[in-house]
Amino acid sequence: MEAELAEVRDFLARHAPFDRLPGEVLAALPRRCTLRYERRGSVVLDVGDHGDGLYVVRSGAVEVRDETGELVDRVGTGEAFGMSSLLEHRPTRYRCTAVEDTLLLVLEPEAFDELSRTHPDFATFYAATHHARLARAIGNLQRATSGSTVLGTRVGDLLTRGPVTTSLTATVADAAAAMSSAGVSSILVVADGELRGIVTDRDLRNRVLAVGLSPDSEVQSVMTAEPVTLSIDALAFEALLEMVSRDIHHLPVLDDSGRPVGLVSTTDLVRLENANPVYLAATIGAQTTLAGVIAEAPGIHAVLGQLVERDVSAADISRVATALGDAVRRRVVALVEDELGPPPVPYSWVVLGSAAREEEGFTADQDHAIVLATETDEAGDAWFAELAERVTSTLEQCGWPRCPGGMMATNPQWRLSVGQWRDRFADWSREPDPDAVLHSAVFHDMRHLVGDRRLAEQVHQSSVAMASPRLLGHLSRQALATRPPLGFFRGLVLERHGEHRDTLDIKRPISGVVQLARIHALRAGSPALSTRRRLNAAATAGLLDPDTAAELSDALELMSYVRLHHQAAQVRAGRQPDNNVAPANLTQRQRRHLRDAFEIVRTAKQHLADRLLPGFQ
Amino acid sequence: MVDVELLALDVETTGLDPRTDHLLSLGWVPVVGGRVVLAQARELRLRPPGDVDVGPSATFHRLTDDQLSDAAPLADALPLLLRALHGRVLLAHHAPIEVEFLAAATVSAYGSRPPLTTVDTMALQHRLLTDVHGQVAGSLRLDAARRAYGLPRYTAHHALTDAMAAAELLLAQVAELELKLGREVVLRDLSPQRSG
Repeated sequence: MEAELAEVRDFLARHAPFDRLPGEVLAALPRRCTLRYERRGSVVLDVGDHGDGLYVVRSGAVEVRDETGELVDRVGTGEAFGMSSLLEHRPTRYRCTAVEDTLLLVLEPEAFDELSRTHPDFATFYAATHHARLARAIGNLQRATSGSTVLGTRVGDLLTRGPVTTSLTATVADAAAAMSSAGVSSILVVADGELRGIVTDRDLRNRVLAVGLSPDSEVQSVMTAEPVTLSIDALAFEALLEMVSRDIHHLPVLDDSGRPVGLVSTTDLVRLENANPVYLAATIGAQTTLAGVIAEAPGIHAVLGQLVERDVSAADISRVATALGDAVRRRVVALVEDELGPPPVPYSWVVLGSAAREEEGFTADQDHAIVLATETDEAGDAWFAELAERVTSTLEQCGWPRCPGGMMATNPQWRLSVGQWRDRFADWSREPDPDAVLHSAVFHDMRHLVGDRRLAEQVHQSSVAMASPRLLGHLSRQALATRPPLGFFRGLVLERHGEHRDTLDIKRPISGVVQLARIHALRAGSPALSTRRRLNAAATAGLLDPDTAAELSDALELMSYVRLHHQAAQVRAGRQPDNNVAPANLTQRQRRHLRDAFEIVRTAKQHLADRLLPGFQ
Repeated sequence: MVDVELLALDVETTGLDPRTDHLLSLGWVPVVGGRVVLAQARELRLRPPGDVDVGPSATFHRLTDDQLSDAAPLADALPLLLRALHGRVLLAHHAPIEVEFLAAATVSAYGSRPPLTTVDTMALQHRLLTDVHGQVAGSLRLDAARRAYGLPRYTAHHALTDAMAAAELLLAQVAELELKLGREVVLRDLSPQRSG
């Protein structure tokens, strides 16, 4: 008889993300664990260790600290650590110390990998924990120099909308209607542009309804006159202090000239703490309707904005952005599949482009496709067409525009069986006309998202194996055609015409590095997807000088950093994020570094041209 | 302790006397290299001889005659246990019960007692709690001993759970001993008893 490890199973079942696993999967897990006991003060896992698996705290507590000894997380009963090495397949950067006598349940790495593959929610949960710890570790480093914390955010940065206002002589009924239609719980009373009072939900209850006051009474008779206010430069921490000490929940914010510009509520402060990838990924994963996912998706920009503010590296922000994007995409595909019923044949929903490379930022088009286990009949194709259309239109409502080039699963051209995909790559490799070159570049960046992972992996591996020297030559030529900015204006080339006059399109040099890395990785036969991994693979294969690979990685980090800060500022200002950076907004040092980065990209391209395209140029 | 392998064992019985009472279930789990290896955990329910019923002991282990009617006879289960014990130190909380029931079973099946090295977490706890005046401070019961080390509460009187509980307790006791001795703990420090 199979021993029933009910105590261990029931324990796991009480804690996320195990609580979402099906009963039979859960019941098999205890056998893949070992138990360890660690005395208070003993180091369980140290910087540089690979670890033995996923460490789940059965009882006790463990502190996670970064290399500098700063606290990154405290892990209590039912929570876990050690996922960084499992996800990154490299030694941990943390020291994990038992701070109480601790019993640990250690899940073997193979089981962790299997669960991550078969249960995307499981993978997302730990990826989010990992990224959050990483962000905190990096935040620690940053705080050591800048003294900023979450609550060190400026009040001005918390304002999400302008003030909702009314006048002294408006009726209480009018004020209530204005609050209701704006969906706010308080309204500012303004006269001659100056703040005179505030009316909150609580006032309407206590000073109007409870005492039977007429709704036609004037606002000034029920408002709190001369309310406590905050300056736009105040810290979130100060806002919290005011609220707690005075037991109030709303604080009007005034600009330098004393005019009301908005309002901070306790909810904003709570949200500030919650602007954390872990909470968001969990919330998205818990949505049971498409409308629910659509409502949560805008939270991604808020989280990314926070990370930018905390000066997290561009590489890490991009990975968080992709992980959160994946959470939305996975949930949407799963929910649409629920609506449509089981698929006619197994499939893999794949993402392309920056999502595939885990290099998303604030702006990304939808790029996706479907890999089918076998070709389908008409009815089968209709099912996938419907899946693609519903997913695409939902993602559009979540904030990802449709791909203008039609590189989406809605296009029947990009819903192919494994065999058809292979034929397609073979054609592109044999006859690299301009379209083929473009397509092969797009579809070489392919990553499995939902469904049967092996299908996507088969196609991706074939695509790498089939890249012919001819195709590589054409890809290189295409890469060289998009030139990094030359002809400097104060060191930077600017767009000369149109809406984006006097700005710099930062996307072009970023694409330059991406293209270079893709070509070198294909030459090395590496299936790596992220630009950094591709550069490393090329260096390891001896195709790229290791210094050049490192320089290109640094250049990518710098350019992405500038882009993320630019886009975060646009999002904060309520504008659509774009790639057009105004050099006037950059510091002298940033400009110098950008120019160096462009030079690195330019030189690397020249080397590629010399190597692959003798006689070209 | 890294080199020693132990097998934590717990038995549920119809009573406390190995001459007249019977085994109802066996639960075991090995401790290898300081880790409790759940992959090798086993629990075997045993069918008592034909005329025996579980009687009032069911209040403890909650095994009823019905549940045991299709369990294996002791003769089938014993070789599995002996194989798991091979090369390992028997570990139990209040080990005389396990040792004597196991001995009675092998005597009846093979005519001799098994050669065993045994570590008793209860005896160990007694030693750890005894102060210089010979006074014992605290309870020696499995549950109480576990709580003293901050280990979680388990449902008692379930063979495998109790075996796992004893295994975890030993790891905690070894950690405590290491602190007291200021060096790595070896088997000798655990007062092993040889029998058979």
